[in-house]
Amino acid sequence: MLVYLTKSIVGAVVVLLVMSFIVFGLQSIIPADPARAIAGPSAPPEAVEAMREHLGLDDPVLVQYGRFLLRLAHADLGTSVRTRKPVSDDIRQYLPATLELGLASIALGVALAGVMAALQFLIPGSGGIRFAIVGIGSTPIFLAALLLAYFFWFRLDWLPGAGRLAYRDFAGPSGLNVIDGILVGRPEVSLDALLHMTLPALALALPIGVAVGRSLNGALHEVMRQPYIRTARGKGISETKVLLRHGLRNAATAPLSMLRLQIPILFGNLLVVERIFGWPGLGLYTVQALASADLPAVLGVAIVFGMLYILVSTLIEIGQSVADSRINL
Amino acid sequence: MVKLSHRMSEPVTGSVLAVKDLSVILSREGRPSRVLDGISFDMFPGEIIALVGESGSGKTSIGLTLQGLLPREYLPQVAGSIRLAGIELVGAGRRTWQSARRHLVRAISQDPMGALNPTMTIRRQMQESKGGDDRSIGDWLSRTGLPDPERIADALPHRLSAGQRQRVLIAMAMMARPKLLIADEPTTALDVIMQAQILDLLRDLARDQQTAILFVTHDLTVAASLADRVLVLYAGRIVEMGRMQDVARNATHPYSAGLLAARFDLDSDRRRPLPTLPSERTHSINVENACAYATRCPIAQPDCTAIRPPLEPASVHGGAVACLHHEQTAFLATQRADAKPWPAQAIQETAALRLSNIGKTYPTGARSFWGRRQRQPVLRSVNLSIKLGECVALVGASGAGKSTLLRIAAGLVVPEGGTVTRFDKLPPQVVFQDPVASLTPWLTIGEQIGERLRAVSPDSDYGRRRVGEAIKLVGLDPVLMDALPAEMSVGQCQRAVLARAVIVPPRLLLCDEPISAMDVSLAATTLNLLSDLRRRLGMAMLFVTHDLAAARIIADRIAVLKDGELVEIADPDAIIAAPQSSYTRSLVAAMPSLQPGGGR
Ligand SMILES: Nc1ncnc2c1ncn2[C@@H]1O[C@H](COP(=O)(O)OP(=O)(O)OP(=O)(O)O)[C@@H](O)[C@H]1O
Ligand code: SF4
Ligand SMILES: [Mg+2]
Repeated sequence: MLVYLTKSIVGAVVVLLVMSFIVFGLQSIIPADPARAIAGPSAPPEAVEAMREHLGLDDPVLVQYGRFLLRLAHADLGTSVRTRKPVSDDIRQYLPATLELGLASIALGVALAGVMAALQFLIPGSGGIRFAIVGIGSTPIFLAALLLAYFFWFRLDWLPGAGRLAYRDFAGPSGLNVIDGILVGRPEVSLDALLHMTLPALALALPIGVAVGRSLNGALHEVMRQPYIRTARGKGISETKVLLRHGLRNAATAPLSMLRLQIPILFGNLLVVERIFGWPGLGLYTVQALASADLPAVLGVAIVFGMLYILVSTLIEIGQSVADSRINL
Repeated sequence: MVKLSHRMSEPVTGSVLAVKDLSVILSREGRPSRVLDGISFDMFPGEIIALVGESGSGKTSIGLTLQGLLPREYLPQVAGSIRLAGIELVGAGRRTWQSARRHLVRAISQDPMGALNPTMTIRRQMQESKGGDDRSIGDWLSRTGLPDPERIADALPHRLSAGQRQRVLIAMAMMARPKLLIADEPTTALDVIMQAQILDLLRDLARDQQTAILFVTHDLTVAASLADRVLVLYAGRIVEMGRMQDVARNATHPYSAGLLAARFDLDSDRRRPLPTLPSERTHSINVENACAYATRCPIAQPDCTAIRPPLEPASVHGGAVACLHHEQTAFLATQRADAKPWPAQAIQETAALRLSNIGKTYPTGARSFWGRRQRQPVLRSVNLSIKLGECVALVGASGAGKSTLLRIAAGLVVPEGGTVTRFDKLPPQVVFQDPVASLTPWLTIGEQIGERLRAVSPDSDYGRRRVGEAIKLVGLDPVLMDALPAEMSVGQCQRAVLARAVIVPPRLLLCDEPISAMDVSLAATTLNLLSDLRRRLGMAMLFVTHDLAAARIIADRIAVLKDGELVEIADPDAIIAAPQSSYTRSLVAAMPSLQPGGGR
């Protein structure tokens, strides 16, 4: 365990270094002038020059990179060109919305995978439903998101399809509205937050659910033919118990790996889905930063996503070793 | 449900199990085939019935049918009647089956490795069973002779040895106090000492609990040491049934007689080839109106392929037999001319293989929090040398280090200490336990055998001739040269593996348990083939086995390995007549024999 934890921390640092280097390298290739951008389009050349001096843009690239790393170590991600605020402040503001949506999509995706497994192994003749889920989950994410918004919001008006909350001025302690609503004793806020989250989370959960569900079904197909499943059935316990107690846990490794592979895809999809549903999170922030060549912001988000990925995949690996005690971390 | 438990509280009078005219059809890839055909028999409380037959005869299928656990993907069609404790199970609903499995019938299987859930502790798996409260878990574990039941209960299966797992499975089955226990080859994976202990345990359980035990085996010797009655199964039909001792003494069906003749034990004649059953079952003829054994039967008559022989009372014992000409069977034994003795084998003084001071350890157990693992010695300064032309058999319990030593000799594992010297420069050839798994599924047999010719293209005339010679040498039908492994029987695959090993005759052949998964007749055939090959090609051989009888038949010397140490090495008959170490003594004592009571 100790070795494993050390390894994953060292791995995290290496990944962050590589990523920061790549994104930093982008700065020198892209023909945008941060000094000009920060000083403003109408600033006199001396002001731009002073800003360049101030930002240290004339120093050798490696010195700039070193300085950048030093700031990074103090959680200083620089200043956003677009919002003129420290990137770390921006991230702090937008992260909770994305965390809330991301976690909800993962949970919903895993639940969907479970439904697919239950259909396959407990309800004979449910192939059609599974086929439909796979079909919907395989459409491109922007199309799926637009279709969901069109039907359930625009046409049927069953669910809200824009924004995060109807209570404009609500602000809770954690920033996760569903939890905050309960914490401050306003359940109507939680409910509203949940309703707002449903469509974007569903759009994000479909591809996760299909990928994880198929991998889970494949693994279960193997596991349910093992002799110990026969032993379990031989004890006269119900098929549901056989599946849950004996099948699921032994089949968990592959679908968990698949879930881990889905995380970076989820980050990419967050950009699209937050844009479509006007969800005020890091995805939307990134889309806007990209549009205005706001490199410090993009870099900051990339680093945050990188850290989140390492955190989640470490958790998943620990989960795998708990499910299968033969995997020794 | 209520009805069921009410019935069960009544004392069972008469038979526990009555099977009538049971037929099972399974479909593989859309093609239905009749796996069980008109099976009828009864079982009484406390009775042990052995179900004997070769691989593929339908033994496992009977067990699964009685539990309602035939794999659903094979679309099982079951006809006839199964009455278990008075309840009709053919055509019964899911609920009835589930409750029958919970209260009435339990099973233990051949593979104790796979039969326990690897991610659940023994205790939690036992709690699922009927009567799985903590007290009876400890109780039953210790009743099966497991030391320290509390520790075992909290362990995960991979921490237990094969024998311990088999005991756990028995405890788990017996704690539900079933009326019927199905034991499907429960001792095949175990060495003789453990096997003898498990058989004793089953015998005691049948007597004390009045449980009826259906004991599935391909080994008549094991059956004889345990069972009261025997059913001989061939191609899904019962061909002979009767009291175990009657059938063992006076087998009336040619197939049972052949099975009995093919078995070998510590008293078999080792100077000449072992008797075997005539060929293996090949493609099936249309058996609806014929005797299924007709293609192999040495006394078959024309009418055997025109009438299906009914199961009739046997004339020589109180049981029944399905053979039109069973009065001829008795002559079979007298007819069988003894085979010619083996020619003398020239053993040279030079060593083909010399292992000196071999030591090896393996890491065991889980890593600690700090990431360290303990290492367990598996071999301790082993010295062994095999002369050119000589065969040495290596016997020992599972986990003694036999396979590790063989792998070191083959150069597949590097020892931590000691040296390996081989006479031959070529790497030695190795034959493993599972012949089917050691062939590449998508290459034809000819291609796989020809692969070892290297310099010669296997498609050239010369190449094909060499392959043809090798195939003939191992007694394989030359038409199988273009067959794929999946199209051949286990025995044919074993011959192909040997042809591949000897096409370029090696000076040293290493065999790792090549017969342990085979039924008696196939095992005898393989032993004959190996004996023949090594004499004809002058090969030295290291033959790893846990079967002392096989070791005695094939080898010039037997080496006994115990806990990684070579405790004894000598001439086979000397070792068996006067074992020096206590371990070898218990090994010899545990050998089952056809005589009632077993053992020596
Ligand atoms: N799904 C299937 N479809 C058709 N035939 C099958 C199917 N499964 C098994 N069989 C056949 O049923 C017969 C009986 O198989 P079974 O496993 O009961 O034999 P067995 O006597 O237990 O053999 P072994 O000693 O190898 O365990 C064999 O001929 C086998 O090939
Ligand atoms: S019926 Fe004929 S073929 Fe079948 S076992 Fe008897 S003699 Fe042999
Ligand atoms: Mg079987």
